[in-house]
Amino acid sequence: MEYKDYYKVLGLERGATQDEVKRAYRKLARKYHPDVNKEAGAEAAFKEVGEAYEVLGDAEKRAAYDQLGQNWKSGQEFRPPPGWDAGFEFSGATAEGAGAEFSDFFDALFGRMRRREGGARGRAEFHARGEDHHAKILIDLRDAFSGATRTISLRAPEIDESGELALRHRTLDVQIPKGVVEGQHLRLKGQGAPGTGRLPAGDLYLEVQFKPDPLYRVVGRDLYLDLPVAPWEAALGASVRIPTPTGPIMLKVPAGSAQGGKLRLKGRGIPAAEPGDLYAVLKIVLPPADSEKARELYQKMASDLAFDPRPQFGA
Amino acid sequence: MTQTGTPGVPSQIVDADIMCTLDELCRACNVEAGWIAELVEHGIIEPVGRAQPEWRFAMLSVVRVAKAKRLERDLALNLPGLALALDLLDEIDDLRSQLKLSRQLE
Repeated sequence: MEYKDYYKVLGLERGATQDEVKRAYRKLARKYHPDVNKEAGAEAAFKEVGEAYEVLGDAEKRAAYDQLGQNWKSGQEFRPPPGWDAGFEFSGATAEGAGAEFSDFFDALFGRMRRREGGARGRAEFHARGEDHHAKILIDLRDAFSGATRTISLRAPEIDESGELALRHRTLDVQIPKGVVEGQHLRLKGQGAPGTGRLPAGDLYLEVQFKPDPLYRVVGRDLYLDLPVAPWEAALGASVRIPTPTGPIMLKVPAGSAQGGKLRLKGRGIPAAEPGDLYAVLKIVLPPADSEKARELYQKMASDLAFDPRPQFGA
Repeated sequence: MTQTGTPGVPSQIVDADIMCTLDELCRACNVEAGWIAELVEHGIIEPVGRAQPEWRFAMLSVVRVAKAKRLERDLALNLPGLALALDLLDEIDDLRSQLKLSRQLE
């Protein structure tokens, strides 16, 4: 397992006071809280900060940790020396929640104590409905059009029969209903934490996110598709074949279309009682002047057309 | 994520118009009715119905209450602080989606 430098995680010197530890933790916890920070990796950072504070914020654990010495480097291969914690007494106050999931390094050092607490907590609860769990699910845009079954893997801390806190991994096949959009929540009855005693399990809530799609941009139920057109197609009008999530269709580009013009295909967005629309956004693509013929044609336009692309600049 | 042959666990879109009672909300979030009442008092969630016995909540409140619970627990926020944080997070979400929209329409 790898050594973890908890001081470095909190951005502190080894001699930091307990007040400094608390301040550093609070600041970083606010910064990385997964409900606040949407960046990838925020959740991992938040857990790491929580673990560091679990140790350094507790005078007893901190003293034990410091006793390992300061020659260890972050990420270095680590084995706890035998009897390393002899002479330290843990009163065992563990923060709730944030510390549900700690590293192997933490477990090797302080694991025994955590298990004791887990047991106590497990017994204290008598009959309780299982808690609801919340997670995210990443789906393809086309799943929202046709509905689909997707497998997700979930990890949740759980107290097992012997009172030990363990991470439970499980996979779940989820039916994605047709017409779901980004930001909506799916509720899966009875798929949260199991209830204790006679009471039922909690529910699982999944927040839907779409995987980035190579073709379509999604805004609510509406889709935007970049539609590259040749200058003459935009100028003279054309009928072009475009993809839609339900299959290709022919689209009429009107004569005199401008760059960035949006052509609306009503009801071709994400399905619902009031389905979204599909917008084709015109992108005029210029043919390169890379042949004699092409240069000739451009030159002919330059000499034959009285065209000023910059009238607003004046003469 | 793979397509499988099994039918899978059915899921239900939590629409804004699905409602639940105070009791159901408490059970779903594993919190006391008193705490929900405080959230209502601070405008963190808004029930339909005037007095507590008539309260009905949008099912989506479950998600908001869970978020409030996490923020309270992890950042030791008090209720006014919680209300402010949630309002500001909502505003940031709105601004982000507006920014995304205007970028997409460029």
